[in-house]
Amino acid sequence: MLLQQLVNGLTLGAVYTLVALGFSLVMGVLGVLNLAVAELFMLGGYVGLSLILADYPVAVAIAGAALVTAVLGVVVEKVAYQPLRNAPPIAPLLSTLGFSVIFQTAATNIWGSDPLLMPPDLLDARYRVGSVSVGQAQLLVMATAVVLVAALALLMRHTRFGYGLRAIAENRDVARLLGVPAPLVTSGAFALSGALAGVAGVQIGLHYSAITPYVGVEVGLKAIAVMVVGGTTNIWGVLLAGPLLGVLEVMTVALGGAAFRDMTVYGLMILTLLVRPQGLLGRAGGAQRV
Amino acid sequence: MISSYASGLLADTGIAFIAALSVHLVLAVGQLSLGNAAFMACGAYVASVLTVEHGVPVHAAIAAGAVVSGLLGVLVGFPALRLRGIYLAMATLGFGEMTRSFFLTLDATGGAAGYSGMQRLSLGAIWAWALPLLVLVLLAERSRLWLAMNAVRDDETAARLVGLDAVALKLGAFGVAAALAGVAGGLFAHWHIFIEPSAFALERSTEMVLAVVLGGSTVALGPLFGAAALVLAPEALRFIADWRLAAFGGLLIAILLVRPQGIIDRRLIQALKP
Amino acid sequence: MTVSRRVLLATPALLLARRGHAQARFAGLEVKLGAIVPSSGPFAEWGRTNTVALRMVEEQINAAGGVGGARLSIAIYDDAARPAQAANLVRKLADDDKVLAIAGPLTSSACEVAFPVANQARLVACSQASSKPGTAAANRPWAFRNTIDESVLMKAALPWFKANYNADSVVIIYDAKDANSVALGSRIMPDMLKENGIRLLNEGALATFNTGDIDVSAQVTALKALNPAGVVLAADYSQAVTVLREMRRQGFVKPVIGGTPLISSAILRAAPEIPVVSSATYYAGQQGDKVRRFTETLQPRLRATAGLPPTIEPSMYDAHMVEIVGMYTDAVLRAGITLKPEDLAADREKLRAHLATLSGYEGLSGPIHFAETGDAVKNFFVVVGQNGQWGEKLRGCSTHGSLTC
Repeated sequence: MLLQQLVNGLTLGAVYTLVALGFSLVMGVLGVLNLAVAELFMLGGYVGLSLILADYPVAVAIAGAALVTAVLGVVVEKVAYQPLRNAPPIAPLLSTLGFSVIFQTAATNIWGSDPLLMPPDLLDARYRVGSVSVGQAQLLVMATAVVLVAALALLMRHTRFGYGLRAIAENRDVARLLGVPAPLVTSGAFALSGALAGVAGVQIGLHYSAITPYVGVEVGLKAIAVMVVGGTTNIWGVLLAGPLLGVLEVMTVALGGAAFRDMTVYGLMILTLLVRPQGLLGRAGGAQRV
Repeated sequence: MISSYASGLLADTGIAFIAALSVHLVLAVGQLSLGNAAFMACGAYVASVLTVEHGVPVHAAIAAGAVVSGLLGVLVGFPALRLRGIYLAMATLGFGEMTRSFFLTLDATGGAAGYSGMQRLSLGAIWAWALPLLVLVLLAERSRLWLAMNAVRDDETAARLVGLDAVALKLGAFGVAAALAGVAGGLFAHWHIFIEPSAFALERSTEMVLAVVLGGSTVALGPLFGAAALVLAPEALRFIADWRLAAFGGLLIAILLVRPQGIIDRRLIQALKP
Repeated sequence: MTVSRRVLLATPALLLARRGHAQARFAGLEVKLGAIVPSSGPFAEWGRTNTVALRMVEEQINAAGGVGGARLSIAIYDDAARPAQAANLVRKLADDDKVLAIAGPLTSSACEVAFPVANQARLVACSQASSKPGTAAANRPWAFRNTIDESVLMKAALPWFKANYNADSVVIIYDAKDANSVALGSRIMPDMLKENGIRLLNEGALATFNTGDIDVSAQVTALKALNPAGVVLAADYSQAVTVLREMRRQGFVKPVIGGTPLISSAILRAAPEIPVVSSATYYAGQQGDKVRRFTETLQPRLRATAGLPPTIEPSMYDAHMVEIVGMYTDAVLRAGITLKPEDLAADREKLRAHLATLSGYEGLSGPIHFAETGDAVKNFFVVVGQNGQWGEKLRGCSTHGSLTC
């Protein structure tokens, strides 16, 4: 059973990793906690499930969800971030919170507050390895997490876009002097962050096969914890921290009861902030602390 | 004589205002807390247990709840000194969630079922706390102490260089803020005469921050205005029906864009003076 | 215009046609009622269907000549499931709108805060959904609930569950953040299992999760390893869906038993092969003239309403709402209420006294009375949800002392 719980934990961790990626990109580069990411994740799930229920293939559903949430990500950037770029970080935090409320209400009004259920027979094949059983959707979530983290890391390291992002993260003005089209790259970061959240939403919708307008809040908070523990300066951090927190959470539940779960997860987050504020894989002094 | 509906809204405003003052204080030293609902919970539970189980007079119980919250605030404030800005916000958010979990599992106060048995306070009693606190903070804002706090907020290194004890100022602000949140919690418990852990969730903490940021964080009248706006807006927006909450979100963004410093600031007060 | 045509419209109309219509003694007056429903926030669906149900009753009663000639008007407010808003709405309905009585609020949290205010205002408030133990009892005499205590229902459902599925051993899983589920899962069920000779395999380590959790794989894996014959699931249907789907995913197909909050079509769709035993005072598909008429009139209206899913069915709480309005209008006709503005306080007290000793009122599935706890004494049904529909297995009455159906 312990092995099975490990698989459960790793899946949950992959879920957190996927959402944390969306947070981490904007936080790491622009120092902004874009709370709307949690709801973009939820909306991605709804758009994806709606497409699947309309008999589109899963790949189309994922692409469609990513497109919608990428566009919404840019809307959030233009309205809630860009005008407040020079305000204290609390202002964009709260304006993105405003978007969260709007997105939640919109989802309630479009899809209802009842859970939207997937057809029960989609991706429900299971594979047995010894005493452990793994589902198709579970494998998909874990594989997507690894692939997306790797892809994003490559993107950051080896493309002009990634170079631009890293330059802006260091110093926006210097980056512009170096010829980085800062406004375009910033919009790109928000779009990418939205798309990542959207893809995560579909994956999670597929795996749990049910979604509600309020799913973003709980998962979002956990994803923030994963982002902090992993560190925002290194994309690979979330791939380590996600499964770490996922397994920690699952093991707490399996051994001690769900009541202590939030204590261990947030406890680890606070401990990280105090002892190793740059995160597990972060570079010391790399992150802005203001 | 005002209607009981109006008095209900006024009472909620008074409680939300005191809670917002707590965020106002920590912001004055440049700290952002997304976990002050935890201190409110602490004040609420301590005061309620004291009045219900030990027969302590209600205002004494609220004061005791505030003291306990304040001590907890100082305790939490120590590690919080290491963090700033968004990172402090995330740490306090985690602390808030942990505190809520704690009360959820605490059987002595009913756990998820909540706690009741308190006697309801009057509207006057709530404002008998809120008004003196408002005056007190307004007076404090004219003191050298407040200048020192703002100096720490604006540039901590410079503040240290001119001999200000930044650590003491930040800890003090955190502790007093926690005590204020505790007062708000005690009043909340004895106004609604029922408390449960979910009343002190993240939503409550963000409401406190919203009241200050929307109202204006430079002068204590800002949180007062912000608290009133937060209590009244959902009522005023009823005609929008299904999109009521979205309209609130839109309004929030609009205000942040138009007046990022908050609705009330010193310039506005000056301009309004005859 | 014949009486018989109106009778076909729906239940309250039927009542009024029989008793009130002939005597148009309230002509020109108005019966003002209030309702508090959560039309936004996490329970929006319930609040919105409640609203449609209330408007339907209002329309039917007025089309049938009103309440003894008086026009019925219901002021409906959204509390977003927030206790503070619900409390202030009670104040608003009591003082500003000067209603005779209030239907709602829906959630137990809102009731805990709003009921004391109703008591203070000396105004009846009757919840359509709250079933957290003792919430009305703590706020007598003005608090009522048109619901049955979960422990009463479970007393009937559990023996049937045990006998029918040979469930001699079970595990418990409950939502630790929801007061109602905590009461059922951690207090009511362990004792009741003992009384029924059912072994509790995870005693001392009951499985829990939190409202909003999407992942309960760890809990289900642990429960499955104990190999029970059945599962006790204490949660709201929207949370229970998550558990049922996870059970299905892990191939843990065992019969499930839970409280009234499980009654929803979402449960039927979550895991059609897992039988879910629950109790209901109404379920879509329920037979009986009156109740079928209710379902057939309300369902098309719900499905035609913007903001509600096209497959929606009336909920148990819609049925309760319609009954509450029926009881209130019945009281107007039978309790000596004058409807004169100067008699408002006296009228409210008469309505309260009428409800407290209610007799001769026929709800959708039988007579309704109120126990001194404020909770309803009425018929209920033990139902099993499987393969996409609810099937009625047992009928019972929440008999309380000498009060019975």
